[in-house]
Amino acid sequence: MTMDELERAIMELPLEEPPDGLRASILLATAYHRPVPAFSLHEVAVFGTLGAVALWLIVLLVSGGGSLFVHTLSAISSVVLRSFSNVAFVSWLAAGSAAALWLTLLTGSHPIAALSHRSDRQDAR
Amino acid sequence: MHVKAEPADGDLVALTLRGNTEAFATLVERYDRAVYHLAYRTLHDVEEARDATQEAFFKAFRSLRTFRQGSKFSTWIFAITYHACCDRLNRRKHYASEELPDRADAAPGPEARVIALDEASRLRAAIDSLPEKYRTVVTLFHLQGKQYEEIATVLGLPMGTVKTHLFRAKEQLRRLLSGTEVTES
Repeated sequence: MTMDELERAIMELPLEEPPDGLRASILLATAYHRPVPAFSLHEVAVFGTLGAVALWLIVLLVSGGGSLFVHTLSAISSVVLRSFSNVAFVSWLAAGSAAALWLTLLTGSHPIAALSHRSDRQDAR
Repeated sequence: MHVKAEPADGDLVALTLRGNTEAFATLVERYDRAVYHLAYRTLHDVEEARDATQEAFFKAFRSLRTFRQGSKFSTWIFAITYHACCDRLNRRKHYASEELPDRADAAPGPEARVIALDEASRLRAAIDSLPEKYRTVVTLFHLQGKQYEEIATVLGLPMGTVKTHLFRAKEQLRRLLSGTEVTES
């Protein structure tokens, strides 16, 4: 066999047959690729409902129809402010928190130690 | 009779960049078989060749803006495919203790198989038995013809090296096909 004949024989070799569906999968991954939406339908429904409720509340407040709502909010905030300005209330709250912390230490659950351990691991990483 | 000319590859790239998805589909139709052929001839594994072909077109689509107008799309996509195949071969070498499949075949070896097959199959088997560097050059010669510069671009080798590899490959093929003993040079 001469070099020319060999070259001709190489050129005449048939190309490999690609597997079924290769072209379709290439096209689906490239030219015909459709981006996945950021939110699914039920997420859009939930966000839409929450948005509508928020909008309704804002409209209620702005139009003056929400005077009861405003009154309730101000009542709650005044009670909270009054409570935290009371020394006895703050003392009892501190005592209760200290007792709860002491009890968790006694029962073997150490939330503060666990938190510091976790932060140590993150630092090490 | 008026025959409508096929759009050039460069025009199809430009159209794709302007948002015409059908243009890229035409490029896929034009080259998917050749790209798969190169991947299969390099990797010798249907699944890996399929994945490498997909990867090559995906990379080409993503980096179409880097394609230089005036250069050949075939050379560009073949270069991307060849690199994808090299990555896979390197991974294979890294994870497997054995040699590459084309040289790891147990007896009867590819040389022995050459004898019993018909002309085209004998030639294909002979090409398969070549060392990887010669086999790739022969495969690209099959796909691109005597465009040595394009082959050199795909492989990232000097043109002189490509010509030497091709010459040695053809010498080995000739000896294999005429049944003479071949020694690795």
